[in-house]
Amino acid sequence: MNLFFQQIINGLTLGSIYGLVALGLTLVYGILHIPNFAHGALYMVGAFMSYFFMVDLGVHYWVAMAGSAAVVAILGILCERLVFHPLRNSPPIHDKIAAIGVLLFLEATIQMFWGSDFRRMSSPFTGIMNFDGLIIPEQRLLIIVGAFTLVIGLQLFLRKTMTGATIIAMAQSREGAFLVGIDSNRVAMMTFGISGALAAVAASLYAPINLVYPAMGHLVIMKAFVIIILGGMGSVPGAIVGGMIIGFAEAFGGFYISTAYKDIIAFGLLVLILSARPQGLFAKGAH
Amino acid sequence: MKIVKKLGQAVATATLGMTIATGALAGEVTIGFTGPLSGGAALYGENTLSGLRMAADEINAAGGFDLNGEKTTINVVALDDRYSPAQAATNAKRLKQENNAPVIFVPHSGGVFALQEFNVKDDFLVMAYTSVPTVTKKGNPLTVRIPPTFDSYMDPFTSYALEHEGKKLGMAGATHEYAKIWASMIKKEWLAKGGEVVSENPMDYNKSADFFTGVSRVLAEKPDVMFVGGASEPTGLVVQQARQMGFEGGFIIMDQAKIDEVSKVAGGLDMLNGAVGVVPLSAFQDEAAQSFIKRYQEKFDRTPGSEAAYNYLALNAIVTAMDETESTDPKTIRAALGDALKSMPAMKRPYDVTDVTEDGGFVSTPDMAVVEDGKIKMVPMQ
Repeated sequence: MNLFFQQIINGLTLGSIYGLVALGLTLVYGILHIPNFAHGALYMVGAFMSYFFMVDLGVHYWVAMAGSAAVVAILGILCERLVFHPLRNSPPIHDKIAAIGVLLFLEATIQMFWGSDFRRMSSPFTGIMNFDGLIIPEQRLLIIVGAFTLVIGLQLFLRKTMTGATIIAMAQSREGAFLVGIDSNRVAMMTFGISGALAAVAASLYAPINLVYPAMGHLVIMKAFVIIILGGMGSVPGAIVGGMIIGFAEAFGGFYISTAYKDIIAFGLLVLILSARPQGLFAKGAH
Repeated sequence: MKIVKKLGQAVATATLGMTIATGALAGEVTIGFTGPLSGGAALYGENTLSGLRMAADEINAAGGFDLNGEKTTINVVALDDRYSPAQAATNAKRLKQENNAPVIFVPHSGGVFALQEFNVKDDFLVMAYTSVPTVTKKGNPLTVRIPPTFDSYMDPFTSYALEHEGKKLGMAGATHEYAKIWASMIKKEWLAKGGEVVSENPMDYNKSADFFTGVSRVLAEKPDVMFVGGASEPTGLVVQQARQMGFEGGFIIMDQAKIDEVSKVAGGLDMLNGAVGVVPLSAFQDEAAQSFIKRYQEKFDRTPGSEAAYNYLALNAIVTAMDETESTDPKTIRAALGDALKSMPAMKRPYDVTDVTEDGGFVSTPDMAVVEDGKIKMVPMQ
């Protein structure tokens, strides 16, 4: 029985990280219709920033996480201003090429400054909780709690505040939003900022139980795209549910079938769900 | 069509010009390198390349070497192949045609096999940094394998683990080709010695975001020994997570992972008690190895591993061979390599390699390392 609960914990941990990354991706897609391939690179920069603040400047884990979120949020806004905004009237393929360009640029820049070494960043939460054989390292619990807090916070922000409502309005109808006088530049920048901050927090939560290196973004971005297609492009609940589905599929599939096949299980699930609901689980408009 | 033709001519003239330009550069020999310099395996590629660069810089700083009475320097040209055999082949063609490199270093077996298809015809020496035994068993006359083959580890590793830890083996190795061959050989040896394989769950060390699931699956069968190993750092994560889940047995560590690097990620050597693996460079106490480590640290500001040391040694051997035979002909270099390894200065030899076998393998006396009471111990392999 313990092994079963162990997989639930594993699924929740993975699902939380995937969900957070997918959430940023889906926000940007929902509002600007840009598949931001560089999102995985923002996640990677987030981990490196936390590493830099914690290891090189010696600040506390929470401060490092906040600093990293701020830096990557600004980086996201810069990407929007310098790259995606000037391309707003170009064909969609230009955005995609630009996103890949940003991805390569960020990876190469990080590799230039930090090299391609694998780094370790340890958080203050290194303890391991043992409930009669069910093992939960503190950091993993922190990931789950942190992700849920963030998702609830984001929901409250989008639903209960005027600023959040402008983002939802833009996602629902661009023209409608313009008609009521919503500043699209502001919303676009805000969306990129939030998306970057989410990626940075996800990376800072996950980095202590993993490795920090320039190619680390590749591991999550592929999954994040699967998740937002699964959940419905642009849907916030879709990203969270999709993240959990993939996380649990990996944990249970990996345990009861084979770790070697866990990706096949996740992608097989994608095919199944899409053949039943081609528009994704939560079609657009379910915001 | 006309434009295309003209363009083709222009390109042809330009490349021809380049070939002449490089060919005319007297007093310089180009050593080629193709390996992963970007992506997930970039660190590995950079480590191997750093050994070559260090060797070349030292030789050039000393004024180069003597080739037919002319002072000659070494120029290392590195191309990125992102671990792809096809790209490695393209790179090798380029290195041969544009830079006229007589020797090309490749740090992965896939690339080596790709280059072996045409290296004799195109006339260049492949310096293979891989411990896959078939690299030299295929009888390619212009291939030299730098590290020892991994089949020599099977018997001593399994004997040690069986004797000290127990009969039940849990396999949690990686899924790349190299790791699969390793795992199947370990399994064969383990069963032949009367051991039992209780669980088999290979994991993708390079592409997995998390190992908790995979490790818990292996540990569910309560093994005494775990077989682990991919790149050092993910291996460290696997070891750490196994210990977190209460595993108290030993580890058999595949040679790609180095015990000292694994322990840094896993959280100290104590985590690795009961582990057996290859001896990390830092555990060698002799002067040549320690001097190499010191010079490397001064130059690159980090601790070298065996990748750097072996490639450093290999390039120095190549240069000594060119120096002694006054030739850059690949066949001549290959023939003189055994003597060069004996006559080169001891300081250029961080590992005790003194000969090369008929089929092209460096001869070294491999040791194995075991971790006992939080310390690395060197044990001679019989």
